[in-house]
Amino acid sequence: MDGPDVGWYLIVAAILFGIGALGVMMRRSPLIVLLSLELMLNAANLTLIAFARQQGDLDGQIFALAVMAVAAAEVAIGLGLIVAMARRRMLLDVDQASALRG
Amino acid sequence: MESVLVWIVWFVAAGACLGTGVAVVSMTNPFYSALSLIGNLASLAVLFLLLSAEFLAAAQVLVYGGSVMVMFLFVVAYLGGRADAPWAGGPRLLRGAAVVAAVALLVEIVVVLGLAWGDNLTDPAQIEASFGSPASIGEALLTDHLLAFEITSIVLLVAAVGGVVLGTTREKDEEVA
Amino acid sequence: MIVGAWICLVAPLAGALAITLAGTRISRTTAGWISTLTTFVAFAGALVAFVGLWAEGHGDREHLSTAYTWLESGDFQVELQILLDTLSSTMMLIVSGVGGLIVWYSMGYMEGDEEERRYFAYMSLFVFSMLMLVQAGNLLLLLIGWGLVGLASYLLIGFWHSKPEAVAAAKKAFVMNAIGDVTLALGLVLLIWETGTLEYLGVFEQVDGLSTTTVNLVALGLLGGAVAKSAQIPLHTWLPDAMEGPTPVSALIHAATMVTAGVYLLVRASPIFEAAPDVQALAAILGAITLLVAGVIALVQWDIKRVIAYSTMSQIGYMFLAAGIGAYGYAIFHLATHAFFKALLFMTAGVVIHHLGGEQDIRKMGGLRPLMPRTHLAFLVGALSLAGIPIFSGFWSKDGIVAAAFASGDTLGYTLYAAALTGALLTGLYTFRLYFAVFHGKPSELVKEHSHDGQREGPLSMLIPVGVLGVLATIGGLLVIPGVWEPFLHWIDETAEPTVKATVGQDYATSAIAVTLGLIGFFVARRASAAGRQIVTSPGIWRVLEHKLYFDEAYDALFYRPAAAISVALRRNVEEPVVERSLDEIGTGTLQVGGEVARVQSGLLRTYAIAIAFAVCVLVVVFVAVR
Repeated sequence: MDGPDVGWYLIVAAILFGIGALGVMMRRSPLIVLLSLELMLNAANLTLIAFARQQGDLDGQIFALAVMAVAAAEVAIGLGLIVAMARRRMLLDVDQASALRG
Repeated sequence: MESVLVWIVWFVAAGACLGTGVAVVSMTNPFYSALSLIGNLASLAVLFLLLSAEFLAAAQVLVYGGSVMVMFLFVVAYLGGRADAPWAGGPRLLRGAAVVAAVALLVEIVVVLGLAWGDNLTDPAQIEASFGSPASIGEALLTDHLLAFEITSIVLLVAAVGGVVLGTTREKDEEVA
Repeated sequence: MIVGAWICLVAPLAGALAITLAGTRISRTTAGWISTLTTFVAFAGALVAFVGLWAEGHGDREHLSTAYTWLESGDFQVELQILLDTLSSTMMLIVSGVGGLIVWYSMGYMEGDEEERRYFAYMSLFVFSMLMLVQAGNLLLLLIGWGLVGLASYLLIGFWHSKPEAVAAAKKAFVMNAIGDVTLALGLVLLIWETGTLEYLGVFEQVDGLSTTTVNLVALGLLGGAVAKSAQIPLHTWLPDAMEGPTPVSALIHAATMVTAGVYLLVRASPIFEAAPDVQALAAILGAITLLVAGVIALVQWDIKRVIAYSTMSQIGYMFLAAGIGAYGYAIFHLATHAFFKALLFMTAGVVIHHLGGEQDIRKMGGLRPLMPRTHLAFLVGALSLAGIPIFSGFWSKDGIVAAAFASGDTLGYTLYAAALTGALLTGLYTFRLYFAVFHGKPSELVKEHSHDGQREGPLSMLIPVGVLGVLATIGGLLVIPGVWEPFLHWIDETAEPTVKATVGQDYATSAIAVTLGLIGFFVARRASAAGRQIVTSPGIWRVLEHKLYFDEAYDALFYRPAAAISVALRRNVEEPVVERSLDEIGTGTLQVGGEVARVQSGLLRTYAIAIAFAVCVLVVVFVAVR
């Protein structure tokens, strides 16, 4: 294989995952939390595809495709939730959605 | 010579990928965040191409970068100024914990990968030219992974219905609000 | 041809679904017609399959058709497949033909019932299940059909769910059948374990390679199922109680088809039973005991339907006897003729009951002959056939079985022969006791009350099926005339080669004895009836028989009471102090812990996310460390 080994891709994926996780845990805007989640999913996808290349097995790519579909589904639901929150005149802040407080 | 060219492409793509990733989580305005994510997806697509995942690279750009992100931008536009959100906030302890958790995750991923795969990451398998092509993916999807394929379609359908239900205005909701 | 078989299987299911889904949108009559017509469509399919099979040459009359592979687990696979051969096509014709007539008859019988739609949906379900049972290409599908007919039987016995007796009878039938289902299922599990397949042909090929113990256990399991389904001793007590259901149900399920499923199984699985001769002999012995016991008990019953029910048990005893000694053709032949004449008897009994406003006690009947001439004729045909009087159908089939018992030789064979001949006498006795009690003598109060001038005997939908069955019961036996013309036997022999065959001489000698005994029964019953006394005169014997030889009481003492006592003891000593108390403790404990833990629930989503991230970190460390 020309260029960098698969390990390099994995490191990029790991860093991307970390960035995404940080976004999910730090940011208060639900929109950005959702975007950060996408980052994490894409990092996972990159890992899957990198390993698929390493093993020469297409299954990893198929899995990545399924992850994409799940991500699309998740965006649809997430955006639906955000729109519903906006409709109810709630502040768009995940800290405000705290009805689960024990 | 070609190898050097690939390295250069890889560096540009990986750098763009990480840079846009940081931008996604750090922008105050979700609109820019979303745009950054599109850039991130595009640079990931380049990485996919380098890994011989042609079909996935195309799908990434078309489906993800195209339709999903357009949906995102629509919502951002619909919300307008209300979408702007404070960067972070809450107790300082929480912020610190978040950073620690993220770093810990990152370190662990690298360590575990190194432990489990460190020795096996240098010689990738020999693959045919058709690896990752739409034809081969299609064949795999419609033969070995047919069930997964069908289930995925159901997941998407449920999500679509769910999105519609959540987004639908009901008179009662408006009154409550 | 095979398409016909599939249509035969699917049509009643479609009928049941249509009636169920249509609900109250269709009228009751429409529901009845849907059920009747789909059953007749099934009959047409069966006829097509039969004719197609007939046209094939000898040795080619066996077709396995697979719809799809339905269950796959390692090397073991089960396919949704039907087996069309001479045996199954015969059963298909009987089930769908007699079934169609009886469903049609029900339209008249059930007229005015509140829940006719439910009734017809159940009936269609039953016909479908029964067809599945007989058409199944492997033992698992047979087991499914076996369970489904049990379910349909349960639903239909308890159809009048406001009657406590009916509900109790339904439960009893279900439990008794469940015992058989379990032994059958265990037998099949053993077969899967040993042979890795449940397909008839695959199993039969491998039977010779199995150990004696295995074959015996499998055969015992199958026999257990057959005994329960066919109400043979010792699992017979549910059948008389099942008469609580509507009369057409008794005719279809508890006379013509379902209860004979056991006989079908014995014949279908004959290679297994032949490899386990002891178990096969046991089947014959149980059949012989049942035919005697049931015949004796039938002498003292007062309920018109119960008499016929005991007679059914007795006749199935004959079939078991035949299958047990290896006279498979005669077993199925008697099954067929029995389906005709017993359904006929039940249906005429139904006409009488219908006419008398639901009365079933023969002490309140009598003198119906001039009032219901056509019904009387039909009943007489059924009775003559049952008692084995020539030329009626029962004569040809029953005598064949008795002669085969003689031909099988040795002590067991002669004992069975004696038992079967005694059974012939008993049959004559109880049949004509019933006949004279209902149709002769002076009209009773009840009969007078329900009889008016110019009144019809029943609606046409009841009389036509009775007529058709009457004709069948009269001439149906002519398919086998020993030594002259035996197409029915040859037909069945292609699937199940008999291991015993009576000579023509044995056949006619046996017939002479059996007919004589039957006629003796007739005359004794007539004299007793004319003199106004019962056939069983000793009050002691009467009491024992009236309690059905105390089977119910014995089961009550043996199984129910100990089980109930153990349950009560367990409740008092285990359930209350241990289980309930500990549950309470767990409940209050959880409540307290929950109260403490609730404080951690800040409601801030981000804290949850961080908690998840840390948890993942810890888990990863744990996994790596463990590895």
